[in-house]
Amino acid sequence: MNPSNPPQAAEYGGDEVSAIVLDPGYSTTRAGFAGEDAPKSLIPTYYGKYNADGQEKLVFGDDVFVTPRPGLSIHNPIGKDGIVEDWDMAERVWEHSFMSRLTGTKAGNPFQNGLNDVSADELPTEMEVESEEKPLSDSPLLMTEPGWNPAKAREKTIEIAMEKWDTPAFYLARTGVLAAFASGKASALVIDIGASNISVTPIHDGMILKRGVQHSPLGGDYISSQIKAIFKANAPQPITITPHYLISSKSPVEAGQPPQAKYKIFPADKAPDASYRALLEERTLSEFKECVVQVWPGPTRLSAPSPTGVSNEDMARTTPGRPFEFPDGYNQVFGVDRFRAVESLFDAKAAIPDPDSTFPPSTPAQTIPELVKASLAGVDVDLRPHLLANVVVTGGSSLLYGFTDRLNHELMQMFPGPRVRVTAPGNTSERRFGSWIGGSILASLGTFHQMWISKKEYEEHGPNIVEKRCK
Amino acid sequence: MAAADVRDMLDLPAEGQPRPHKKQKVVEKRPEGITRELYALLGERAPPIAINENKYKGRPKWMNKLRVRPWSMAPFTNNARSDGLVLNHWQRKHESARPPAPALEESQIEVDQPKEEGKEDVPKLPEQEYAFAKYNVKPRLPQRYTDDEYNRHLKNDDWSREETDYLVDLVTDYDIRWVLIADRYDYQPRMDTQPDANALVPAKHHRTMEQMKARYYFIAATMLSLEHPPSEMSEAEFELHEKMLKFDPDRERDRKELAALQLNRTADEVREEAMLLEELKRITSNEQNFITERRELYSRLEVPISVGNTTMYQSSAGLSQLLQTLLQADKSKKRRSILGDGAIPSPAGQTPSTAGGLGRAETPATQATNKKGSITKETGQMVRTLTAAEEAKYGVQHHERVSAGVQFRSDRAQRLTQAKSNVQTQKLANALSELEIPVRLFMPTERVCKDFEKLIQSVNMLLDARKVSEKVESEIRVLEAAKMERERKSREAAGISGPSADPDHPHVKKENEDGDTGLLGHSTTQNTHGNGGAHQSRNQEGDGNHKRSASVLSGASDKSNKRQRR
Repeated sequence: MNPSNPPQAAEYGGDEVSAIVLDPGYSTTRAGFAGEDAPKSLIPTYYGKYNADGQEKLVFGDDVFVTPRPGLSIHNPIGKDGIVEDWDMAERVWEHSFMSRLTGTKAGNPFQNGLNDVSADELPTEMEVESEEKPLSDSPLLMTEPGWNPAKAREKTIEIAMEKWDTPAFYLARTGVLAAFASGKASALVIDIGASNISVTPIHDGMILKRGVQHSPLGGDYISSQIKAIFKANAPQPITITPHYLISSKSPVEAGQPPQAKYKIFPADKAPDASYRALLEERTLSEFKECVVQVWPGPTRLSAPSPTGVSNEDMARTTPGRPFEFPDGYNQVFGVDRFRAVESLFDAKAAIPDPDSTFPPSTPAQTIPELVKASLAGVDVDLRPHLLANVVVTGGSSLLYGFTDRLNHELMQMFPGPRVRVTAPGNTSERRFGSWIGGSILASLGTFHQMWISKKEYEEHGPNIVEKRCK
Repeated sequence: MAAADVRDMLDLPAEGQPRPHKKQKVVEKRPEGITRELYALLGERAPPIAINENKYKGRPKWMNKLRVRPWSMAPFTNNARSDGLVLNHWQRKHESARPPAPALEESQIEVDQPKEEGKEDVPKLPEQEYAFAKYNVKPRLPQRYTDDEYNRHLKNDDWSREETDYLVDLVTDYDIRWVLIADRYDYQPRMDTQPDANALVPAKHHRTMEQMKARYYFIAATMLSLEHPPSEMSEAEFELHEKMLKFDPDRERDRKELAALQLNRTADEVREEAMLLEELKRITSNEQNFITERRELYSRLEVPISVGNTTMYQSSAGLSQLLQTLLQADKSKKRRSILGDGAIPSPAGQTPSTAGGLGRAETPATQATNKKGSITKETGQMVRTLTAAEEAKYGVQHHERVSAGVQFRSDRAQRLTQAKSNVQTQKLANALSELEIPVRLFMPTERVCKDFEKLIQSVNMLLDARKVSEKVESEIRVLEAAKMERERKSREAAGISGPSADPDHPHVKKENEDGDTGLLGHSTTQNTHGNGGAHQSRNQEGDGNHKRSASVLSGASDKSNKRQRR
């Protein structure tokens, strides 16, 4: 094979037009060039806000984790249900996601992108901002949205892309469809376990079936709240998470012993906001989820008796525990508790009650099996067996140890008749960035280029065109 | 040098004396006039080692001469779009745009990649269609109805004109993908047109996919027939027309209900169904087995009756030959000719009844028969030694040597009656007929055959004896004739007539006759005595007499035979 030859067009049907794929999520925002296998730019959707010299300043990207500035508060432009709430800030965050890594040198106003801290006297005037080149004027943009995105939000999105970013062509695709594409399927039942939401989306021929779209808030953040509840009721002593930024030094202690650490004390006027602490606690918790938390593999529920007569909970107790050390040095081996944290995703009765939690107690209808059931009830009966044979699992929280096994068992129990087949990419990045990868595939296909909404069309029909074209 | 640097960096005291440098390899120059190879043999040089460096292979050398063909970010338009959106993609630069040495380039390009020629043309023609535009296909839909057509043919009480329009729009939008159409169907009746009716009808009228399909197919079929009357339609069109007209929403709904039932079975039902299916599979496979075995049996029974000449098979030799040929045919064909085509050959020993029993044995319903079958099987397998009486009873025989093939016992008995010469055979037959024994035995049991064999043996012996006696008698006669001649001559010489010997002869003869008649019904001892007497008699006896005595003897032995049989 001669490397100087281009691949035959028929071989892969690709035609790259240097499109940018932007996949905004509740916890992270992914951006990259279409045709690549992973997003080049991965930033948290959270942004920081603080006052310095009487002026409000913003922190974007990974920088939010780094410095506990006085009064730094953390916000998220996207609401708990995955729909954008704060459009101005969402635009800023998204802009940062591609400007910081992808369209770098052409970065528009340095003040606008928040990368540089300009002192007040150098502040550019409004005129200059207007004359700046817009960030995306030569790249088509493919953006993703959840399946339940309301029409207003969609119109707002294309407005930002066309008017603020000046993209020549735009398309808005559903995350579910793209995740199915990433698994090489045009029809699938996509189960997306995200940070704030879990969703079940039936896809037929590359289009979502709106009546089957189901979502509930039992995502990664909910699991965190469950873990916190477990920590509160922990046996030798309740565990409090002290994030790294509050620790100045620590010494090793035996398992279960109180931590011996020196803490950093921030005076009240210098201390960052509580939301900053919550964000960093969340980081520790996600580490805990990666290392310790495990999904009871099934086939029956954790609370149910196993076929041998011993209850599953006792069986879980006999398995060796997993140790975890917290930032302050406290460490403990976690036994059956590590199964209980996620059990409520499948069994609403197993939810650990926590009055302080921001999450309302979960209902049975919010669990994954019920979501799948409701979703299938919303689609045509002829389609259901096919969807069950093409279940695609995506989303970062689906990486919980043993999740797909359990899901498989639950689905097989619920639908003993048809063949159930769960597809979950083993590769971590493919699971986390499923919808981005699908977008990358879609936007680099030669046949897709007829589907872009061009600037001309937008100007002709207005933002409403997105409803007509991105069905 | 390096060590010194390190010491320097680590602030170590310098060594008193710098280490003696490694002996630098002095590369001696090869004097002129000596070949390199020869010099290598002389000097103290390490043997040459082939050094293999991992090198990037790169392109073949001849390709380096080629000019790099540039690619450029080129704008393109997509014919599948109506708005003329211009996007950029990387494309190989225009061939003719390169000024230097076009002829050379061309030839090299051809060597390089003749297949690319087609591609090269793409940038040459800016008007060239975008390669992917051809994939923009739409299904063929029937033409849209006009107001007039709608009012005349398509009016429906259930479907308003607006809703019909909405449906047809949706079908066009989603390329007749009914799953999507039904999913997105969301018709809001306009409030202003029929405010009163709206109050009565539920605000959101839910349409099922079947209703939509029925309505659309009706419209499409009507439009199709308006376009071409059914008589002028092509075959495909007519078929489509028929299919659309025959759509039955109720049946479709029932089917979907059944499908939903099937999908929502409980685990128990699924398990039961799997069990039943398994059972069914077993039953059908058993039945299949049974059928093949029965067919095998029938094919065995219905071997075609030969219409050829059978005379050659009437003798035992012919039969055994036939048997041999049949065996051969069996071996070579493996009984494929007997079985029908496609039948599974079963082992020869397996009879249909036992096979059926085994096959059925697995089903729980036939447990009992299974048990019985196994018992008989066990007894059959046991080896039993028989006593002599039992052996006789069951007719078990032990043979030293058994010749191949089947032999008939009667054949063996028959063979005994065939002597070497025809005359002898005739004589044997005469003897048997005189004893009223048929040449072919009626009941050739083993014992009968054995006795028959004995009888034939003794008959043969007697015949032999008679032959010898005849010979002796004729000699005696000759000699007596010579003696009489001599006596007559001497009497003539002495003048005495000699009829004195004559009365002797008839006497002897009489005695003989008496003995013969007396012998009938007497024991074998007398028989042998008489035989001996006949042997020793120096009387002149006729052939017939001898014959008679022999036959009498054999008759006696026959009697004994009969007695034995009894």
